[in-house]
Amino acid sequence: MKTLKALWIAALSGALIFTGATSITAAPTTKHQKAVEVKMVLWPGPEGDAMQKVVDTYNAGQGKRDGVRVKQILLSRSDTFSKEAALMKSRSSEYDVYFTASYLVAQHAPYLAPLQGVDRSKYLTSAVNGLRVNNQQLALPLDTSLHFMYYRTDLVAALSQPANRAKYRTISRQVLGKSLNPNTNPNTWTWDDAIATAAFYTQSYNPQSPTKYGYALPAKNLLFNTMIWNDILWGEGGNWIKNGKPAINTPQGRKAINTYRTIYTKGLTSPDSSQWEYAETNSAMTSGNAMMALQWNAAYPELSSTGFTAGNLGIARPPGKGQRTHVHALAVGVNKYGKNQAATQKWMTYLGTERAMRIYAKNGGTPSMPKILNTMVKDNASYANLIRYANTVGYSRPPLKREFDIYAALAKELSPAWVGQRSTADAAKRADRAMARLIR
Amino acid sequence: MQIAAPQGAKVARWVLVLPLLIFLSSLLLVPIYLGVKTAFSYDLLSDFDVYFNGFDNFYFLLTDPDFWISLRFTIVFAVVATTLEAIAGFGLALVFDRKIPGKKILFSIILIPIMIAPSLLAVMFRLILNENIGIIPGILNVFGLSVSLFSQSSIIPLLIVLDFLQFTPFAFLLFYAALQNVPDELYESAELDGASYAKTIRKIILPMITPAIVVILLLRFLESIRNFDVIYILTGGGPGISTQTIGIYIYKTAFLEGDFGLASAAAVMLVLLLAPFTPWVIRKLTSSQVNS
Repeated sequence: MKTLKALWIAALSGALIFTGATSITAAPTTKHQKAVEVKMVLWPGPEGDAMQKVVDTYNAGQGKRDGVRVKQILLSRSDTFSKEAALMKSRSSEYDVYFTASYLVAQHAPYLAPLQGVDRSKYLTSAVNGLRVNNQQLALPLDTSLHFMYYRTDLVAALSQPANRAKYRTISRQVLGKSLNPNTNPNTWTWDDAIATAAFYTQSYNPQSPTKYGYALPAKNLLFNTMIWNDILWGEGGNWIKNGKPAINTPQGRKAINTYRTIYTKGLTSPDSSQWEYAETNSAMTSGNAMMALQWNAAYPELSSTGFTAGNLGIARPPGKGQRTHVHALAVGVNKYGKNQAATQKWMTYLGTERAMRIYAKNGGTPSMPKILNTMVKDNASYANLIRYANTVGYSRPPLKREFDIYAALAKELSPAWVGQRSTADAAKRADRAMARLIR
Repeated sequence: MQIAAPQGAKVARWVLVLPLLIFLSSLLLVPIYLGVKTAFSYDLLSDFDVYFNGFDNFYFLLTDPDFWISLRFTIVFAVVATTLEAIAGFGLALVFDRKIPGKKILFSIILIPIMIAPSLLAVMFRLILNENIGIIPGILNVFGLSVSLFSQSSIIPLLIVLDFLQFTPFAFLLFYAALQNVPDELYESAELDGASYAKTIRKIILPMITPAIVVILLLRFLESIRNFDVIYILTGGGPGISTQTIGIYIYKTAFLEGDFGLASAAAVMLVLLLAPFTPWVIRKLTSSQVNS
């Protein structure tokens, strides 16, 4: 009898929990009876904050007319793509819109539905092209990122002083084995000019230098650091792949590795920079420890308003023969397995309008539409450079299926050579071997 | 004489245990099954096709120097960190086993590091030790000392020191609990017999707390093998893979390279490599308990 009673209690508790759970989950559908909920993933930070305003505006206006309610879900900034990877692989329908990027779109391609009716002329060419796979537009560009050569204008101007010219020649001979004259126009710098200038402003070569090091080198084993290194490779006329085969172990590839290696091993950057990424590079500049860095355009607001770089910040194209900058766009694409395709399409159509991107820009985003960026130049002068460089020296590789993996592999194989832990030839060979496996 | 349970009670026993069994198997057995299955599969994020590929992933691992370098670093790191933490933890426990002024407050202070999440600690250290804006290099600069704590020559010792700072309190806590079980009379008898303090510790206390020592070494060693967050946040496993633990290798293979098959094979390999030691550790542990 007691046993029977216990079973009844267990069954009743289970039933109560089940009905309780259903009544909780059922509540929101009654509140927004007609609106279809579209769930979109983004990451926290300026992009997530800016997008929330776009979402709020849409939900309060156009969304009501469309019968769509958008919900933004912010995953963690460092692990958004890992979590998405797990969801995609299980063909999940949990989210309708995925966060993606130029360097991931080919990997995400099997899980994204092609977009219809995107007006490509509204966007920066290199940004929108980087999101096409097999001639299909798979994602809408949001923020465009590229690199600037940031430098201290006060220190570059000081190079023209007669007393400094002779010293510059001596130091350049010491570091590069050739005597160079100072070049006070960073937009025309070769890497030799940049290295000689960095050496001139490194205290171990020039004790009178106001900065301890001339350069801030982000050399951590991190795929985003490889994107910066790409500028040198492309500037030298090299590329990852030539004639369908990996091409890091080429004169251009080895020269690009050696450029980083020279900066690190000659002591033009801090020994700690073997573990540096975005934040440390910025702090080296603002603290007055370094005078130049090839860094992301997103660093401009911080560098132009903080510490030693405030009021003394110059922007130039990445140095090099060919002067190239990597360009990528963060983006959003439609989950092929989402259950609300029609509603998602309505939201994506809205997101592709200048109206939506103006709200995005106003709230801290950097949309890839030149028309919108131009209106924001008064608030952020670097946008003028962004538009100019994206259209002139910007380069976005044709997406590869395992591009993200290649970036990670290159970071792993090249970073020891950047900091002198492995020979350049060995690193280049290893990089090619790793790529051969990934482009099969 | 054993009284047989009535049939109804037997059924009820199973019915009541069933939710727990379902819960355990879904959280333990199913993931293990899926993990092993994936280890024998070609399973890439960028590819729709998933198919059985036999021992290909395992063959790749056996010939992949990165896997072995990561494993070697993990084991060396675990052995060094565990040894240092055990020695320091035991030393601290001996100090606290005596009457010292401010014992309660000091005790609480010492335990603070284990209450902080390792990833948070890593972010804190990344800021505190930053050459440009960190407080420690800043203070050292005032005294004319310039340090590069993240340089290639300092990074491995730095990682060990950080692990030591965070987990020595854990070893200390367990040693302290073990020492609390040693009767005071033993110390008094040893003293009456003329044994020095060092000799008492070596000949009496250490043999008595051997089970605790084995447990502490085992727990800390396993924890160190699993080390991921602090090293990942501070170095990402670099430069190159010089500080890459096996956990970072598996994570990067799965989530950066998108190769779930290879990552699962690496996890299975790790279990297979560590599994032979488990019976030895358990035997050692139980025999020590019996002897004591």
